[in-house]
This record gives sequence, C-alpha cells and structure tokens, in this order.
Amino acid sequence: MKLVRLLVPMTLVIVVASCGEAAETTTTTAAATPQTGTPLPEESSTTAAPVNTQLSVLEWAYYEVPDMWVEFGAAHPETEVIFNFGASDADIFSKILAGSGEDVMHWYSPYMPFYVEEGLIQPIDTSRLTNWDKVPEGFQQGCTLDGVVYCVPWDWGFTSVLYNTDQIPEVTSWTALFDEAYTGHISMWDDGASGAVPIGAYILGTNEADVTDAQLEEIKQMWIDQRDVNLFYWVDEPSLEEGFTSGDIWAAYAWNGAYYRLLLAGLPMAYADPVEGRNTWVGQYGISAATENYDLALEFLDGKLGEQTGTNLLVQYAYGHVVPEYFSAVTDENLITALSLDDPTILDRTNFTVPITRDQYERYVEVWTQVKAAP
Amino acid sequence: MDSRRSPARLALIAPPALYLFVFLAIPMGLMGLLSFRPALRGGIANFDWTPTLEHYRATFAEGGYTRLLWLSVGVALVVALITTALAYPVAYFLAFRAGRRAPLLLTLLIIPFWTSYLLRLIAWKIILGTNGAINSFFLWTGVIEEPVGLLLYSRTAVVVTLVYVWLPFVALPIYASLLRIDRSVLEAASDLGARPWQRLLRVTLPLSAPGVFAAYLMVFIPTVGEYVSPLLVGGSKGSLYGNIIEIFFGDGINWPRGSAMAMIMLAGVMALVLLIARLVNVRRIVEEP
Repeated sequence: MKLVRLLVPMTLVIVVASCGEAAETTTTTAAATPQTGTPLPEESSTTAAPVNTQLSVLEWAYYEVPDMWVEFGAAHPETEVIFNFGASDADIFSKILAGSGEDVMHWYSPYMPFYVEEGLIQPIDTSRLTNWDKVPEGFQQGCTLDGVVYCVPWDWGFTSVLYNTDQIPEVTSWTALFDEAYTGHISMWDDGASGAVPIGAYILGTNEADVTDAQLEEIKQMWIDQRDVNLFYWVDEPSLEEGFTSGDIWAAYAWNGAYYRLLLAGLPMAYADPVEGRNTWVGQYGISAATENYDLALEFLDGKLGEQTGTNLLVQYAYGHVVPEYFSAVTDENLITALSLDDPTILDRTNFTVPITRDQYERYVEVWTQVKAAP
Repeated sequence: MDSRRSPARLALIAPPALYLFVFLAIPMGLMGLLSFRPALRGGIANFDWTPTLEHYRATFAEGGYTRLLWLSVGVALVVALITTALAYPVAYFLAFRAGRRAPLLLTLLIIPFWTSYLLRLIAWKIILGTNGAINSFFLWTGVIEEPVGLLLYSRTAVVVTLVYVWLPFVALPIYASLLRIDRSVLEAASDLGARPWQRLLRVTLPLSAPGVFAAYLMVFIPTVGEYVSPLLVGGSKGSLYGNIIEIFFGDGINWPRGSAMAMIMLAGVMALVLLIARLVNVRRIVEEP
C-alpha cells in the first residue's frame, strides 16, 4: 500500500508536468526593461501603473519579438509580456474556447464573429486608442459587428494566383488554377472555409457570405474536378515555395509573402491581379472578456498601431500594416511590388475576407472534406 | 495466496493502468460523449445539450466518407501484408543466418528510428520528387529523357512510404518469435526427411505465427487512421479517412463530427481485428506449446 500511496502523487506530478509542457510559453520584456530586482526610484511608485504587471498574448510565432511591439515596450518597461503560441486560427480559437485565458489574442478574418458568439472577447473602447483614426475605414469596418468594435486590425496581405512567367505568360483570372493546360503544375492551399470556397465564390461572381446552396454545390464540383490538374495541396508556405523552386509548380494560390521571398530568390515570378479581384486578409487583435488587464491590453493594441511597430512589420516581415501613412518607409522595390504599395487603388479592387457565421464556416469546411473524399 | 492479487503485482500494474486510464480511457470516453453533441457551441465544458445521432447519420450519408474508410482499411491491409512479407526474410536471416553479426545488423535495422517519423517521410519527397534521386538516376543512365512526375503525390507513394516506415518496426516481433523456436525441433524435422522448404512451411512458419500475427496487426491498426503520410506525399487524390477526421478536429473546429467519425473507425477496426483473430484462431497458435 505504501507503494500505491507513493505512486498517486508521482503520477499527478507527471500529469501536471506533461500539461505544462504542452503550452509553449515565451516570456519577453522589452529591451529597455530594468534589471528585475533593481529597486525602482521613489517617484515611479507614484505613477498609476502597478509595478511588475503581466500581460499575456496568444500569438503566432515570430510576432513575440520586441520589434513587433516597440511602443508598448517603451511605455511599459515594467510589464512582462507573456506570449503563448497557436499554430492556426482554429488552434488559437480552440485554445481560448478551452479556457487558456490569455488577455489578448491574434486571429485572422473571418474568425471575429466566432469569438463574439461564444462571448470570448469584449468591445474595444476606440476613444482611448490614440492611433485609431489613422486606420482606414475599411479595416475598421472589418472589426465592427452590429455597430460595436470588437478588435483592432493590424497586419494584412493579399491572396492571389502566383505564377512563374517562364511557363505562364500572364494570369488574369482565378480560373488559371483550374486550367488543364497546366495539369500537374498547380498547387492549391489545403483549406476550405478561407481558401477554396471564397475563391469559388469570386469566380461565380459572389462572395463567401452570400453563397447559395446551389452555388456551394457548384463550387464543390469545381474543386473536385480541379484535383485532376492540382499536383498537391500545400499546407505551409515553405513547401509551396519549394514547389516553385524545383519547377514542379507553375501557378498556385499564394499569399504575398511567398511572392516576395521568391522574387528575392531571383525567380521570374508574377502575382496576378485577377478580374474577379484578389483577396485581402486581415489579422486582428481582440481582448479577452475575462481579462483583468483591460487598460494594459488596450495600450498594447494602441502600440501595435504605432509607427515604429508598423514600419518594422512592413520592412522586416513583408506584411502590410493597416496604417497607410507608414508605407512611405518601404524602399525595397521587391517589397513595394509584393504589397502593390505603388498602386493606390489596389485595396479598393480586392475582396476583403468577409465575416461569415459559424454555421457557414462549418459547412465550408465540410465541402472541403467532401472534395478530398470524392472518388 | 493468489499471486494475481499480490501487492507487488498491483504496484507494478498501477502506474501503467493509471496512465492508460487518464490518457486513454478518459479521452476515449469524452470523445464518445462528444460524438453525440449537436455542435461545439457555448464552450467546451458545456453539458447543456440533447444527445443526437446526427453526426453518425451525416457520416454514413456522405458516400465519400464511407468509401474512404473502406479504402483506408484496404490500404492498411495491403501495407501490413507487404511489410510483413518483406520483414519475414529479414527476421529469418537475423535469427538463423546472421550468427555473431546479428546484434550489429539488428542495430543497423533500427537506425532509421533514430530519426523522426516526419523527417523520414520528407526524405521520401527527395527520393521520389521530379528532381529526386530516382529520376536523376534514370535520367543519368538515359533510360528516361524527361523526369517522371507520377512517383510522388499518389496513393502508391503513400503505400511505399508507409511500408518503408513500418518495415524495421515489424521485423522485431517476428525476429523475437523466430528466436524462441527450439532448434531441436528443426533438426528433428530434417531427420524425419523434411526438405528445407517443407521445414520452413510446416515447422518454422507455424511456430513463428504469433509474431507474424502481432506484426501484421501492429501495422494494420495504426495505418487505418494514418494521415501524415497522405498529407505529405499523397497529392490531391491521396487522402485517407484519417485526413478527414483531422480536418474536422483541426480547421473545422467540429469536434463532435470528428469524434463520431473516429468512433466509427474504432468500431470498424475492432470488428475487423476480432474477425481476423477468429479466422486465424490466435488462441490456438499462441497457446500451443
């Protein structure tokens, strides 16, 4: 019996340890952070912000570096920002749903309504965001549901047909992804709700929120037939880029990051401006409904819209930032091309990812499984 | 005193039993429960819902899913058959012919396990790819003038990679069962006039059957639910049933549907294993002295 008594706590320790391991956590404080343990000068204890505060963020890898939150780091050197990571939008949403408890989380359109529906986030008091007015209305609208602002938009980028001009002279439509002339040299992203269904909807002249049942059926058949020309579905950008460099892939559904990197690698790449319009996706930050750090979270998000952070995002990671006045900081020709920063009307001609309901989302995912399961 | 109830025995069994209970039985129970939940709404720990069979109905209603389940079972049967057939001679050589070199060869056999499963799969992309090892070799020898694009991204590629991944794993139980064979039985067979092939078919093979059977199931059971290899080398039409389950659990955030599909697979595999066990009559094989 003694052994059993020993074993129970031991097993519990193992359980707890393995649970702890599952959550990959990075703690970062801004470069300007004073040494911990150094007594702060008398005056600073009179400021409103409490010493040794913490803010937790559920983030995508690479956004935890202090360059991606410069303003907040400078204003709050005493705050320890804890980053936990998600691997996909579904992963981040599931973690929050399961109660991982971060103050701030980062998702991509169209996830915002799902968080609202589950009561996981709270409204943003935009009157307290000093940089809010710099954000174009289109991006603000993307964060608004029934007149309430639920998030702060931050990064954005395009989705379009990326192609190698050695093999394909010009692509003018999304239908290039279905072209039999390129059989075995096309690659589609492995995603239904954010990839296949929206593109199918654009081709049918509608968008993913307004697709009818009949149209959805048509879209499904389009992608089932598309498998005859599609070499493989890519799950991560490196595998897609490898497809282009090896010469296997001539045209693909792609984000502008891949376009930029392949341009840098010296490949003859072009990024289509399809008649149906490119897609524009937007990354958004929300504040947890259960947070005890609302004020701090709000400041963190305001800092995300700051000039230093915005410029770093553009120049270092080649993603768009929602404040257009920072674009002038970009001098790299490849980057200007990749983000179409030299085309002031490009955003007006694209299809922003529109909010869809959770029911629609689930149906679109199912369409994708049916495409994959079709004979 | 009944040795089965001795404290020492209980203490030995307790940790794995507790581990299995916490990490297998409870999750399985939760998954079974989830499969009856209408939708994953209102939080995860929400029990305010009426059980429904909707997800089971929807799975069977979609012909593609059931077709894919059968296909996955077929692929698993084939992969297990090829692997076991290829592993048997390897194990036989190790057990009867390798002699003093056996430990070294055994180590060489399991060396692939020192690398991660994912890396080994990605290596096959390099071997089978358009500019890969096989194409380069045949281009160099002049057998082909253009690279063959069909090696990768097909269901055949899935079978090839899975056979490779399982092979060393499967040779071990067969090797163990061959080692256990009493050599005097083989000598007796020869003395009684059995030719080498008769000895193999009528003595060695039946005596090593438990190991072969264990090896076959060790490949068959996990392969039915396999989804990584189809994702990496299967191409547009190489998906298996496991890929669909993965989508519902992952991108789909539709755990109830994923659970129902997983339960269906579990029931199917269990029924099939019981059927095989009955056909092969494991008990007779295993208990035979």
